[in-house]
Amino acid sequence: MLCAWAPALASAASLPPANRAHSATTLSVRDEGNLRFVRSSGSTLIDEGHATGTIPGNVRIHFLYNGNPNVSAQITIYGAHGTIQGHASGRLSSPTSPNPSFSGTLSIAGGSGRYSHARGGGKLYGVFHRRSYGMVVQTEGTLHY
Amino acid sequence: MALAAPAQGHNARAAAGGAPRASLAATFAPERLGAPTTVTFALNIDPPPETAPPPLSQIDFSYPGNLGFATSGLGLAACDPLELQAVGGQACPANSRMGGGTATVEVSFGAELIQEHVVLELFAAPSPDGYVHLAILARGAEPVEARIVITAVLLPGHLQIDVPVVAGLPGAPDVAIKQIRATLGGALTYYEQVHGHLVAYRPRGIGLPDSCPRGGWRLGAALAFQNGEQSQAGAVIACPQRRGRRRG
Repeated sequence: MLCAWAPALASAASLPPANRAHSATTLSVRDEGNLRFVRSSGSTLIDEGHATGTIPGNVRIHFLYNGNPNVSAQITIYGAHGTIQGHASGRLSSPTSPNPSFSGTLSIAGGSGRYSHARGGGKLYGVFHRRSYGMVVQTEGTLHY
Repeated sequence: MALAAPAQGHNARAAAGGAPRASLAATFAPERLGAPTTVTFALNIDPPPETAPPPLSQIDFSYPGNLGFATSGLGLAACDPLELQAVGGQACPANSRMGGGTATVEVSFGAELIQEHVVLELFAAPSPDGYVHLAILARGAEPVEARIVITAVLLPGHLQIDVPVVAGLPGAPDVAIKQIRATLGGALTYYEQVHGHLVAYRPRGIGLPDSCPRGGWRLGAALAFQNGEQSQAGAVIACPQRRGRRRG
């Protein structure tokens, strides 16, 4: 489990509103999501759930695992002030374990609302429950918006 | 519960030079887009007339890369191939079983070629490299009692099977595979702990994608023989009819 976190920097917080709209904010982000299986299409699993941490909200993940241990995922976080879109790629270990883990890198590429120009990146960790098709996913990194 | 009739694809055989001809049939059962299924490959090897088929060294079954083999929920434990060889399928965890099948092999007895029926049991094996590995137990009883473990690896879009040399009688040719039929998934019983109790369940199976490619799903088999010859065969599984057009 991830512990409490704190934003590393919130440069826009003290600016007047007129300037805030055009200024950048950089956050150190840590989130964790417990996701349940929604449906699948072949080698792609679609899971959803709630994320807690720096940017709480709902999370939807399209997780591609076609037999190659190099897995990938498209991640959308639905936060209170908009959505954040991310792409992750990593490596899955112990494929015959009931709960294989994976880890890799995450890149943020846009979103909507407050996060429409979001950029950033970091690391992704997860556990894939092969019986239920649910996942626990953790991210940590830096978000600019 | 009755299952829908399996969707089946056959195709013609192809061979290079004097290599044995091969034909492949493949089925998804049931065949519903976006739903779990079982996959069956049936391969026949026909040598030129008056000759015995040469022993195989490798079979590479190919299938659409977006089939959900790796996300099937099959193979939640691993079976040690050495124990499988020494003891048999009962040495393996129930949750390592991935499927089964049959094969027909040809064994030379003097001038006579005898066909032997072989039972196949497919298990997940330990993975040294992150890919899903399989151990396939081949058991024959008559006329030759034998237990052989064949190894395979599940690659994206491929199931690659390495066939070992199986020696025949002294002075006779090696044993050769004539037919092989294998199913991944199906009526398997797995177990899980629920509130301290062991509960049986059936694993979900191999996920079909939401859509079917134009012309159907193409599957194939590439065969390599111990003598260096190669053959190929293909099969197409037609797309399912739209639900509104189905009858009955």
